[in-house]
Amino acid sequence: MANSTATTAQSGPPSSVAGNVKPALMQLEEIELSFGGLTALNRVSLDIRSGEILGIIGPNGAGKTSLLNVINGVYRPQKGRILFQGQDRTNYRPHQVAAQGVARTFQNVGLFKGMTTLDNLLAGRKSFIHTNFFLQALYWGPALKTEVAQREKVEQIIDFLEIQAIRNTPVGTLPYGLQKRVELGRALAAEPKLLLLDEPMAGMNLEEKEDMSRFILDANEELGYTIALIEHDMGVVMDICDRIVVLDYGSKIAEGTPDEIRNNPDVIRAYLGTDEN
Amino acid sequence: MVDEFWFAMEVLISGLLQGFMYSLVAIGFVLIIKSSGVFNFAQGSMCLFAALGFVSFWEAGLNFWVALGLALVMMIVLAVVIERVVLRPLVARPPLILFMATIGLAFLLEGLAQALWGTQPHGLELGIPDSPLEGLPVDISQFELFAAAISLLLVLALVIFFHRTRVGRALRAVSDDHEAAMSVGISLQMMWGITWAIAGGVALVAGIMWGTRLGVQYSLTLIVLKALAVLILGGFNSITGAVVAGLIIGGSEKLVEVYLNIIFGIGGVESFFAYALAMFVLLFRPYGLFGDEIIDRV
Amino acid sequence: MIFRENGQYAATYAKDMRIFRLREDRVAVAVLLVVAFVVVPLVANDYWLSSIFTLFLIFSLAALGLNLLTGYCGQLSLGHAAFMAVGAYAAFNFAVRLETPVLFNFIGAGLVTAAAGFVFALPSLRIKGFYLAVTTLSAQFFIEWLFVSFSWFSAGSMMGAIDTPPMRILGWAVETPRDKYLLTLGVVTVLALLAKNLTRGEIGRSWMAIRDLDVAAEIMGVRLFPYKLLAFAVSSFYAGVAGALYAFCYLGSVEVTAFELALSFRLLGMVIIGGLGTIMGSFLGAGFIVLLPIFISITVAAFATRGLTDFLSNLELIVFGGLIIFFLIVEPYGLARLWHTTKEKLRLWPFPY
Repeated sequence: MANSTATTAQSGPPSSVAGNVKPALMQLEEIELSFGGLTALNRVSLDIRSGEILGIIGPNGAGKTSLLNVINGVYRPQKGRILFQGQDRTNYRPHQVAAQGVARTFQNVGLFKGMTTLDNLLAGRKSFIHTNFFLQALYWGPALKTEVAQREKVEQIIDFLEIQAIRNTPVGTLPYGLQKRVELGRALAAEPKLLLLDEPMAGMNLEEKEDMSRFILDANEELGYTIALIEHDMGVVMDICDRIVVLDYGSKIAEGTPDEIRNNPDVIRAYLGTDEN
Repeated sequence: MVDEFWFAMEVLISGLLQGFMYSLVAIGFVLIIKSSGVFNFAQGSMCLFAALGFVSFWEAGLNFWVALGLALVMMIVLAVVIERVVLRPLVARPPLILFMATIGLAFLLEGLAQALWGTQPHGLELGIPDSPLEGLPVDISQFELFAAAISLLLVLALVIFFHRTRVGRALRAVSDDHEAAMSVGISLQMMWGITWAIAGGVALVAGIMWGTRLGVQYSLTLIVLKALAVLILGGFNSITGAVVAGLIIGGSEKLVEVYLNIIFGIGGVESFFAYALAMFVLLFRPYGLFGDEIIDRV
Repeated sequence: MIFRENGQYAATYAKDMRIFRLREDRVAVAVLLVVAFVVVPLVANDYWLSSIFTLFLIFSLAALGLNLLTGYCGQLSLGHAAFMAVGAYAAFNFAVRLETPVLFNFIGAGLVTAAAGFVFALPSLRIKGFYLAVTTLSAQFFIEWLFVSFSWFSAGSMMGAIDTPPMRILGWAVETPRDKYLLTLGVVTVLALLAKNLTRGEIGRSWMAIRDLDVAAEIMGVRLFPYKLLAFAVSSFYAGVAGALYAFCYLGSVEVTAFELALSFRLLGMVIIGGLGTIMGSFLGAGFIVLLPIFISITVAAFATRGLTDFLSNLELIVFGGLIIFFLIVEPYGLARLWHTTKEKLRLWPFPY
């Protein structure tokens, strides 16, 4: 399935055949970000197109996570624009970005470790709950109704990710691979328009990677979520991504289909002599 | 007019000198935060523990320097025990948990010190009178001058230690980057032990100074509270900050206390003024005057 | 108590989401309530009712408030005793100046304190972590100073000393230790239930998310500032009501020193020992701290006879501090988790595998 999408995108340069190119869900234009003189992102422009899986790769310290942080509104770029569904939202705060339907997982697992799996997933449903303080204190009427509705939704995700057995376990006590899966579940619970995954397979064994790849592809194909992911495992990236963007020292050095990236001399140069993980 | 000026100067100078004594306590905090990231609430109890131990040794008939040395050794042993028993099991836990553990430690040390050496206040007389120097237009207490000089010497000694000795450099490396320091063969546990021992030594000096002023008794643990205000004003990880903030707070709180009382008849502002000032500054500089900004990383 | 989970299936999510999902738990709670409301008032003498049970309930409520803030939302407060003072003096002023009904006074005291907590939480917009914890100390010192310095708050009496006026609720004169115990029990029961509800819903999850990883919480859509403010306000509300009860149902004659910094630390100790982030832990911790001095003095009295008072108070400090460290190292979720673990074992007993 993923391959067929890839070939569509491959059939021509992005701008030439309009019919084959999906509309951009998110556009980053000339993003510049630096910390006290240290440049993290240098005029990076890229599109994330509706329905695709976009891979973001590059050596360590290339600015990949900083890029996600800019999208999430954690860092504010000094220059550049961010458009979401055509609307300028460059200076949105993280919670506003979340309300627009952007969900995220983290490099070193960003779960709420003291909470159970169920509560973590329910936390992902934050934007769907609008009952007021007093109703929640009474746990009654609309508040109870909303809670039950969220619970039903979350149970679907629990079934989808096959994590029924750890429903009431505090996630801090779970093994690493399961934590990664719960974290994906929390992001899915938000029913995101755009799903950002920061190294979803880091530290996993082969079997866990296969499972995770399957969940990501299912989320893309069955649930229809647009996904941008950072990953160091080139095999995985080449397999599941429709398009790939390569960052090096904070600049974008290449963009294209997996095949184009594989043969791009700049990319090969950037990776030569660096640790490929 | 002239009298009023000298009166204000007197208030200010006495406040500034008091400020040095706040700094003495705050420096103990800074040392531990810099090396281990732990916010050690027990610093005040360590002052009490050290001073009470020292006074008891001295009163037992030991020579002044022997008693001092013995108290120092005691603080070093204490530091090693704290590192083993409290800190090591809590490594890698959230900072808030470590902070609360040091609150527990504060109670433990306070109880232990008083159980060992009694709850009676001990007078402490270093032979420097707490009376004004003669021949000056303003009254400046000799003892306060002495305490300020000791504080300055201590800061100087710490700066030299951190920049000129092997161990000091290793400690700075640890505070810059734990993992990198470990990778070049610096033992983290050892360094933490050393820092706590130094902080124990600083607590001994601060405890003796404050003990001379207030008597060696449980209220020494409360000076930690004023030192906290100094600490947040100066920034958690800056010795310079601790000294400068100590002077700012010492000077301004005395002036405010005295003049609010004279003009409006309101007293006791001293009890919270330091915090109000520190909080106000934090609104503009959330990491204190000299503290390092923390960038969120995810 | 032996648990039999077999056959108890939750047919709907609503049933699965009840506070006490198992029939055995519900029976146990019902029994506990009957004991608290009926048996204790009938059996216990005045000393136990006032000095143990009422005090225990008041501290539980205050600890519960602090637990919402520190255990759930991860924001440390070193000024909760002062917030109790705000509640006590607010209730006093409602009672003597406006002569409003007793329960109104208590709720009003909670609301005034919530407002105070809100104000002192405003710096949390800019200030984080320890810096914020230290600023809560300023609340402690400022509020103490306020009540000592301005006799308006104590209706004219010097140094903030007040005597609480008699209480009457719809013809029920709340006079004896038994009456006061029952009033306290009623208030605490209702507020504990509300707290439980808050913490198991969206607000509680958002608080815990902020506690566990604030950056991730924000990215998941939790606005940090309003939720922190809410935590401070709700927590202060509980402290305020507890303070009002402390004044009206326990102390009677109140001085500002009843709410000094040491009490703030005792509350923190209760929360840590009882269990951070659990409602039940607040009760266990409060019970533990109330009983600790009694327990220590009984134990020590069995061994020694002379010079006890100093030694006892020091021993209490040592045990208190030691336990805080012990629980943080060994069992961060405190007595509540120990209880839970025991229950889990009983659930499987006698076939642990």
